[in-house]
This record gives sequence, structure tokens and C-alpha cells, in this order.
Amino acid sequence: MADADTALLVWLNGLAGAFGPIDSAARVVGSDYAVPAAMGLTILAQWFAGVDSDDRMRRQVGVFVALTAVALASWIVFAGNELYFRLRPFDAALEHEVMVLLYRPTDSSFPSNSAAVAFAAAGGVWLISRRAGLALFGLAIAYGTARVYGGIHYPLDILGGAVVGLVAAAMAHGFWRLIDPAPAVIIRAMRILCIA
Amino acid sequence: MFSFVVDYYLLVSVAAFGVIQVAACLGQLHGLVLLRSRRATWVLGLGLAVAAAAWFFGVEDRNINDYEGGLDANIQALMFFLGASTAYTATLALSSVVNRRAAAANPEPGEGLAGLRKTTFARALAHSLSYWRREWRTRILPYLSG
Repeated sequence: MADADTALLVWLNGLAGAFGPIDSAARVVGSDYAVPAAMGLTILAQWFAGVDSDDRMRRQVGVFVALTAVALASWIVFAGNELYFRLRPFDAALEHEVMVLLYRPTDSSFPSNSAAVAFAAAGGVWLISRRAGLALFGLAIAYGTARVYGGIHYPLDILGGAVVGLVAAAMAHGFWRLIDPAPAVIIRAMRILCIA
Repeated sequence: MFSFVVDYYLLVSVAAFGVIQVAACLGQLHGLVLLRSRRATWVLGLGLAVAAAAWFFGVEDRNINDYEGGLDANIQALMFFLGASTAYTATLALSSVVNRRAAAANPEPGEGLAGLRKTTFARALAHSLSYWRREWRTRILPYLSG
């Protein structure tokens, strides 16, 4: 498993440096800002979407779910990093040199916090809008791939992060269902102020 | 670091303003939309989001570790919240001014954003607050419990 993980990293990262525009795109897509901001904006758009009042409330509860999932995923990764630390590919003694396109993080490589947050957001949005959710899953996969291509994660880190994110989305969904009808009460209170 | 924080806040504020315009147009929340033409609203909304991203990533290298001047996850989340809130507040205020002369009907109490299909935020808020100030003793509990 570890061999296949390293082999996939070496193959994907080995493509870096061959074509400048793809490297530039990977630097933007794999950065800490582009995909997370795009995901945040998609979640924000869900607040206003909906064909009627009930549909809008379902989506607004979904916004709470997505935000909770992101926070939960981040916390799970943080707690996990206290128990297990994996060196980044550029710090590990690999036979092949790793080309680093992004800045060199110092925290644990596994699981990927970026992938966990991205998949948590995508999972949360998928529960309320299949189309927007699928678009965000596409973005999350591109984000993870860019970070492997950029030499700062192994593929298994991304896979681990994706599992954490999806579990966090399911837990967040369960939590908001558990405290039902609190979300609807919050949204009705916000509707008095015409902001929900 | 400070300049990076401000840049990120501006990115989110401008992009969120554009996204809200497009989302309000899709949700037919006419009271929130600044332009009458649907196509112009899409061009404005997507244009603002793309321009903000192009500016943010174009002016300088954003691949910086948080201890070297980049943003850590907590600051990033806080700035996103502040930027999105700024965009929402600006949208509510600007759309209320721009659409003040448009035909308006009073929304149903508790309609929320759906009421902005018929009127501006300022009018809807005034109507809602006036209704709930009169009726809260008898209506608020049944309303909140659905």
C-alpha cells in the first residue's frame, strides 16, 4: 500500500515542471485560498437559492450542516495529528527527488486537512443540492490532486482526508437532525429580520 | 500579514457581492438585485467574482506559509465570515436604495427573504418589525414552532 502510494506520488509529481501553465494552475488550485473560497461562496449561494419557502429553509439548514462539517473535519484532523505524524513527501527520504510547487507545510502529511475540509464542505452541500455538491466534489478532487502534483501530499493523505471529511459531513447532518426543530426555529427567527 | 488579511477580506467581500447578485437573480429575489436585466446581473455577478480572484492571485504570490505572512485557517475562516457579512450588508443597503422607486407589495409576516420578491429589504424589514411589535405576544410562539 505504502509502495503504491509513493509510486503514485512519484508519477504525478514527476509531471511537474514539464509544462509551465499546468504548474501555474496547480499553484492556484492547490493554494490555501482558491478552492476554500470557491467552496465558501457556493455555500453562501445556497442561502439564497430555493424555489419556495420550504426549499429555501431546507437549503439554509444545509448551510448550517456544511459549516458544522467543515469545523468538525478540521477538529478531527487536528486531534488525529496529536496521535500520528507522517513526514511530508519533500521531507521523507525518497529515492526520487520531489518537486515542490507550493509552500512547505510543517504539520503532519496524513490525513490532509485541506482535503478533509474540502470533502466535508462538498458532502454537506451534496445533502442539499446534488448539482452543487457534485461540482464541489469535483473541486475537492482537483484540490487534492493539485496538492499531490505540487509535492506536499501523498495520495493516501488525500484519501484519508476525504474519508474524514465525509464522516464529518455525516456526523454534522446527524447532529442537526438530532436537535430538530432548533434549526427551523433559528431560521424563522432570522426571517423576522428578513435575512433568511 | 496585515496586508494579506486585508487582501483576502477584499477578495471575499467583492466575490461574495457578485455571488449574492447571481443567487438572488436565480431565486427571483428582485428586491436584492441591482440591475433589471437578468443577463446584466449575471455579467456583473460573475465578473466581480472573477475579477476579484484574478486581482488576488495576480498581484503577488499567495503561496506563503502562515508563519511567514500567510493566513492560518482560523484567520481565514474569520475573514471569510466578515467578508461575506460585509457583502450581504452592502447588498441589503444598496438594493434598498436602488430599488426604492420600484412597485412594492407588503410581504407576509415571517416570509423572510421570499418577501424580497415583492419589495426591498428596507421596506420588508420595516413592515416585519412593525407587525411583530404589535403581534408578538400572541403570534410569536406559534410562528417559531411552525
